[in-house]
Amino acid sequence: MKFAFIKNYYPFFLNGVKNTILLAFFAVLFGVFIGLFFSLMKLSKFKVFKVISSAYIEFIRGTPLMVQIFIIYYGLDRIGIKFPDIPALDPILGVDFADFMAGIITLSINSGAYVAEIIRAGIQAVDTGQMEAARSLGMSYFTAMVYIIIPQAFRNILPALGNEFIVVIKESSIVSVIGIADLMYSTQIIRGITYMPMEPLLVAAAIYFIITFSLSKLLGVFERRLRAGA
Amino acid sequence: MLEVINLHKKFSNLHVLKGINTEIKKGEVVVVIGPSGSGKSTFLRCLNLLEVPTQGEIIFEGVSITSKKNNINLQRQKMGMVFQQFNLFPHMTVLENITLSPVKVKKMDVQKAREIAIALLKRIGLEDKAKAYPKQLSGGQQQRIAIVRALAMSPDVMLFDEPTSALDPEMVGEVLDVMKNLAKEGMTMVVVTHEMGFAREVGDRVLFMDEGVIAEEGNPEEIFSSPKNERTKAFLGKVL
Ligand SMILES: Nc1ncnc2c1ncn2[C@@H]1O[C@H](COP(=O)(O)OP(=O)(O)OP(=O)(O)O)[C@@H](O)[C@H]1O
Ligand SMILES: [Mg+2]
Repeated sequence: MKFAFIKNYYPFFLNGVKNTILLAFFAVLFGVFIGLFFSLMKLSKFKVFKVISSAYIEFIRGTPLMVQIFIIYYGLDRIGIKFPDIPALDPILGVDFADFMAGIITLSINSGAYVAEIIRAGIQAVDTGQMEAARSLGMSYFTAMVYIIIPQAFRNILPALGNEFIVVIKESSIVSVIGIADLMYSTQIIRGITYMPMEPLLVAAAIYFIITFSLSKLLGVFERRLRAGA
Repeated sequence: MLEVINLHKKFSNLHVLKGINTEIKKGEVVVVIGPSGSGKSTFLRCLNLLEVPTQGEIIFEGVSITSKKNNINLQRQKMGMVFQQFNLFPHMTVLENITLSPVKVKKMDVQKAREIAIALLKRIGLEDKAKAYPKQLSGGQQQRIAIVRALAMSPDVMLFDEPTSALDPEMVGEVLDVMKNLAKEGMTMVVVTHEMGFAREVGDRVLFMDEGVIAEEGNPEEIFSSPKNERTKAFLGKVL
């Protein structure tokens, strides 16, 4: 095997890595807001909210990401939502901004369902006495959630959220099917140009592994700190 | 100030409270005793609607708190509650635990809330713990702070659910002392406890609960020295 091609094509890989990380970062960031929203709906005592939230979570978890991304990619277009093209961003992303947004939206909606379950579990793991103490002091449900429950749930949630970030980094490779220049897409390009079917894939695999492995090590350290602290 | 009329509570099929009627007067210390599972905690938790009664009415300071239109958050500010497991907020310092509700709920000025908190901490001799986190404190200290946290809202009544049951024996006294002082200052209190000495010494009235009803009530002298109900006798025979 020859890996000399790396010398010529490493900018493709770098750009791909950058986009993969950007995608995963924003997906998890928006996923957290979506997830928080739906987890609170699922924990609400109103049946309608529970049903809506469960439907969303079950649907997302029960269908392939590949199907979701096509539905969103073509669906957004069909219902007339068009993200503005921002030419200034094109050279940075190496891809159409509108396509990039479709990728982020899909990954966020997808990740949101998993994050919703992570947050729900984290909130439910907080001792019920905490909510009771807060309410007995006159706090509203909302105030108690904001100041008492969510901060404590956060500690339970953070490690799982880090894990979700790692999962999304890997899963995001699927957005290459709609032409977003992430790491996987760049790898395909290089395979095409160089006529080498195998070697670029090995490089991509190595890069994915290095990113996820170092992240999971970093998380381990962070988690230990968290447990040692207050 | 607190009137309970025909209070019933069911947990699905389990009929826990079967018609409780009583009135708690301002300044009165009411002690609730009874065997495990008789519904003491459920009764106490119904008073501030932590449990929603299945039937019956509770009137606090002239307001029917069980009424559908009522916003219970308003009355809860006037009803302090102390739990068996303390339930201090573990992610906050002692001072933050005490000032949070006055600041967020009563919209009290932060500085003012701090002054009140420190003054209250001084009274229980724990002002040096203001910056500590709950887990750095002993059980007895935590429970005294939980009491102070409730007091910081300047409640009109304090509800205690077995406040000393989770404590090591050597710490029971310090918590009971705080409660005794509170009683002396004229605080209205409803106390569920197994501390018969406390009931005798501090209680104005003792309610003996059994199987979801108040089986007997009276002043401590009557209940402890000459109980009339057979079940009261049996219960006291076991615990005294
Ligand atoms: N949330 C709940 N759901 C179902 N059953 C409950 C609930 N809370 C209490 N019970 C049941 O109601 C009954 C009365 O409980 P309660 O806690 O009021 O008793 P208690 O007199 O306080 O007992 P103890 O002295 O052990 O604290 C028990 O049989 C208990 O299992
Ligand atoms: Mg109890």
